[in-house]
Amino acid sequence: MAETVFHTEKLVKTYHTGGTEVHALSGVDLDLYASELTVLLGPSGSGKSTLLNILGGLDHATSGLVEFRGRNLTTLSDRALTRYRRDHVGFVFQFYNLVPSLTARENVQMVTDIAPNPMSAEEALARVGMSDRIDHFPAELSGGQQQRVAIARAIAKRPEVLLCDEPTGALDSATGVQVLEAIREINEDLGTTAIVITHNAAIQAMAHRVVRFQDGNISSVATNATRIKPSEIVW
Amino acid sequence: MHALDKKLLRDFRRLWGQSLAIALVLACGVMILLTAFGMYRALDDTLEAFYERNEFADVWATAEKAPRPLLSEIVAIEGVQSAEVRVQEYLMLDIPGRAKSATGLALSLPENGEMPVLNVPILRSGRLPDPQATDEVLVTEPFAQANGFALGDRFDALMSGQKRTLTITGTALSPEFVYAIGPGTLMPDDASFGVMWMPEHMLAAAFDMSGAFNTVTLSLSRDASEDRVIDALDDLLSPYGGTGAYGRVDQASHAFVSTEIKQLKNMATILPPVFFGISAFLVNMVIGRIIALERAEIGLLKALGYTDLHIAAHYVLMAGLTAVLGIAIGWVTGGLSARWMAAEYAQYFKFPYLIFNVSYDAYAISGFLALLTAAVGALRSAMGAARLPPAVAMSPPAPPRYKRTLFDRILSRARLSQPSMMIWRSLFRWPVRAAMSTLGLSLAVAIMISVGFFSYSMDKISDIAFNQSNREDTVLLFTKDRALSALEDVRKLPGVMEVEGELYTPAKLRHGHLEKQLSIVTRGPGATLARSIDETGHVVEAEGTGLLITTRVAEVLNLSPGDTVEVEFMTGRRETHILRVAAITEQFFGLGAYMTRDEMAGLTRSQPQISVANITHDPSQDMAFNMAIKDTPMISGAVRVTDMKASFAATLDENISIMNGLFIIVAVLITVGLTYNSARIQLSERARELASLRILGFSNWEVSYVLVGEIMLIAALAQPLGWLIGFGLGHLMAASFTSDLYNIPMVLPPAAYATASLVVLATAFTSVMVVRQRVDRLDLVSVMKTRE
Repeated sequence: MAETVFHTEKLVKTYHTGGTEVHALSGVDLDLYASELTVLLGPSGSGKSTLLNILGGLDHATSGLVEFRGRNLTTLSDRALTRYRRDHVGFVFQFYNLVPSLTARENVQMVTDIAPNPMSAEEALARVGMSDRIDHFPAELSGGQQQRVAIARAIAKRPEVLLCDEPTGALDSATGVQVLEAIREINEDLGTTAIVITHNAAIQAMAHRVVRFQDGNISSVATNATRIKPSEIVW
Repeated sequence: MHALDKKLLRDFRRLWGQSLAIALVLACGVMILLTAFGMYRALDDTLEAFYERNEFADVWATAEKAPRPLLSEIVAIEGVQSAEVRVQEYLMLDIPGRAKSATGLALSLPENGEMPVLNVPILRSGRLPDPQATDEVLVTEPFAQANGFALGDRFDALMSGQKRTLTITGTALSPEFVYAIGPGTLMPDDASFGVMWMPEHMLAAAFDMSGAFNTVTLSLSRDASEDRVIDALDDLLSPYGGTGAYGRVDQASHAFVSTEIKQLKNMATILPPVFFGISAFLVNMVIGRIIALERAEIGLLKALGYTDLHIAAHYVLMAGLTAVLGIAIGWVTGGLSARWMAAEYAQYFKFPYLIFNVSYDAYAISGFLALLTAAVGALRSAMGAARLPPAVAMSPPAPPRYKRTLFDRILSRARLSQPSMMIWRSLFRWPVRAAMSTLGLSLAVAIMISVGFFSYSMDKISDIAFNQSNREDTVLLFTKDRALSALEDVRKLPGVMEVEGELYTPAKLRHGHLEKQLSIVTRGPGATLARSIDETGHVVEAEGTGLLITTRVAEVLNLSPGDTVEVEFMTGRRETHILRVAAITEQFFGLGAYMTRDEMAGLTRSQPQISVANITHDPSQDMAFNMAIKDTPMISGAVRVTDMKASFAATLDENISIMNGLFIIVAVLITVGLTYNSARIQLSERARELASLRILGFSNWEVSYVLVGEIMLIAALAQPLGWLIGFGLGHLMAASFTSDLYNIPMVLPPAAYATASLVVLATAFTSVMVVRQRVDRLDLVSVMKTRE
């Protein structure tokens, strides 16, 4: 059995907006394993992104337990969470979030500047097939290219976990495939644990496991006996 | 270089317009601080060094003729460290090639052929006169330069009625005459007034002062009481016609220089905070906006593991770069303007050297304050950015909550157009920002008004002084007070048309514990040349028993018409009388008190006397007149009031237009800084709103109206506030310039307000129109697509 990377117990997250309480997560129990590629599926507001934010140290849980390799994240200070993100986590967002005033290489360097044991920006970009556009600004890149730069930026620090929130949400299918290809390669070649949120049920076929969300809770967890390559996904 | 630093530099380059607009305002603060503080330090240090090295005296006193042995008694006064006596006399000079006469102040040099012990002149060229010589003089350097004298050149002087030809052996500068002003004049004129030192026996022989002196200078020990020494000295000198001892405060040169130093210090402390305050606000506004726009990037940086400190520092550094730009501009312009100011001062103040220690501390302080300003401005927003939880930062900000207020109901009633409604709503949506912008623009207006009033004040001063009060062409100074019959001799000079006499009597005025030493001027009845004007512009004459005093004297002694004042005459029988204040008169130069000739004669129980003759003369006979007065023994000098009026106007016109020009630039920079940045921020915040209006079918101009309208509304609101602050600031400025030497009246005609408003409104309009061009270039599709 592979090592447990994330372990959550009775994880609750409640938002207070305008006098009403919104239960984004209501008691989630989940284990995620090393080198696994997990897809989180579910409709908007089902709690996937909230869980990802808490796992990534971007947000605090209201109650319950979250452990990263046996270390309790719920008790960490903001400073310690920052350290945790810097050392262990790579993020990929739906809207790429590249800094427009920096080139592809420089966007990756934002991470390599502060990470303890990073690969070079050139190597990270080569891994996602962006070697030929290394000195281009985001405005000079297509959506898929921008997202690949964002992935390069996420993996450059050699993170133990790669958290991807709707990485293909803003992309057409052809470019989406390229991005998923990049994520799969990182997962397989570097052994990075990858968690991918998606609306797109077709993507689940490339995962080791698929976790479905409904109303702030896990409705099902399924293990894929056979996985397919992103290029075989049709949507 | 780190990627984050690259981002910093690229963002800075992208925002160069806004950064430059802020940097220029900041630069104004740095420049003024550097110039005023630098010059203040330079003048203060130089003055102090010059005084110390050249033994500037602490106390002066003059008498008619006192015996030399009195010196030992003077030295024995408690607190006196050293004392020196000398003979000093005003001489009428006839300079080769100069039609008009000049005046010289001759000071005796010690008999031993050495320099004086106190107020030591510093030799600039040549040598001291030979103590045995009978025709050698050392003259002040500016006097020699202005008249084109070289060593060995000669000029004539009328000494006690005898024409003597004097040879220049050297030139010098003296701590006593840093600001050298001739008797009866308002401004230094190096060509027509000079100080000269000559062997004692020359002066003593000519003026019958052998074994006697008429001036004493003292230095005091550290713990001495100046007042007590002055009282003791007055007691010693009163039998010999002492006219009242005085300290440095009342020494003419020192009074002028120290007033100037005080003004520089005021300028260094009053103005820069205004600029730093506005800059801090601008930085706060711009950085706040940048942070709002970069919310997602901040979230990203946090997700990547950048610490709060990293992020706060990033935005503070961005403000810091602006500050560095401002400091650079401020240092360069400040350095240049300090140099320019130093040259200006060199025209008026005669220092042998200028200790202009490009005061590194002034640079350091101004730079530090500018950085601090930027940091303070940026810090709140930057800390806010750093504190944003990453998950919150990455989601778009919640839309601002609008509530229907009373104001909204009023707006709805007003049936304004939608764009007008948008303008008003925005004003009330960001009330603090709107208020700060209004305040900032009002300061731009105020600064112009507070300086602009000077030219109107000077017009009034010139009008009252030269057209209303002193209407004579020339004032002839007598070597000593004379009987009224002297006027008949003056009348016989070629071309003289009208003649009136005035007597100057040194006196101490006391009211309660307040005391002031000045000269009481006595005039004949119905004088039409020199007269006094009251605040309403009417001529006032002292009638019967009563004293006219100027507004400044009334303020200093806390006197009103009808009050009584104790007058101690410092000459003649030295009696003290109680007089009634008949009226207050307006006079802007020096201190003054006036009474009638009959009353003075009655009080002193003596024949009426005169010290000066005020005359008008026929310009066609100028040559003959000038020749004649050079040879009239009873006249020690001639003050050309017409020349003085011209040079007053010329000097002030130049200085005031430079100052006005500078402050117009400053007001323009403040206005550009505020309006350009406000408009850019408006545009950035409202890009979606404005694009929506365009899509709905509003024309470019209708859309621009929202942008231009809001800025111009703020600019318009700023005007009345600016007038008010300008009025107050102007009073402050006038008060800070007012001393016993000048009294600056506050004259603010509507034109002064209008000019300031016009400049600020026009600048605001131009700035916002520059930004408005971006409305035409709004890419409707992409604006609507942006996430924010």
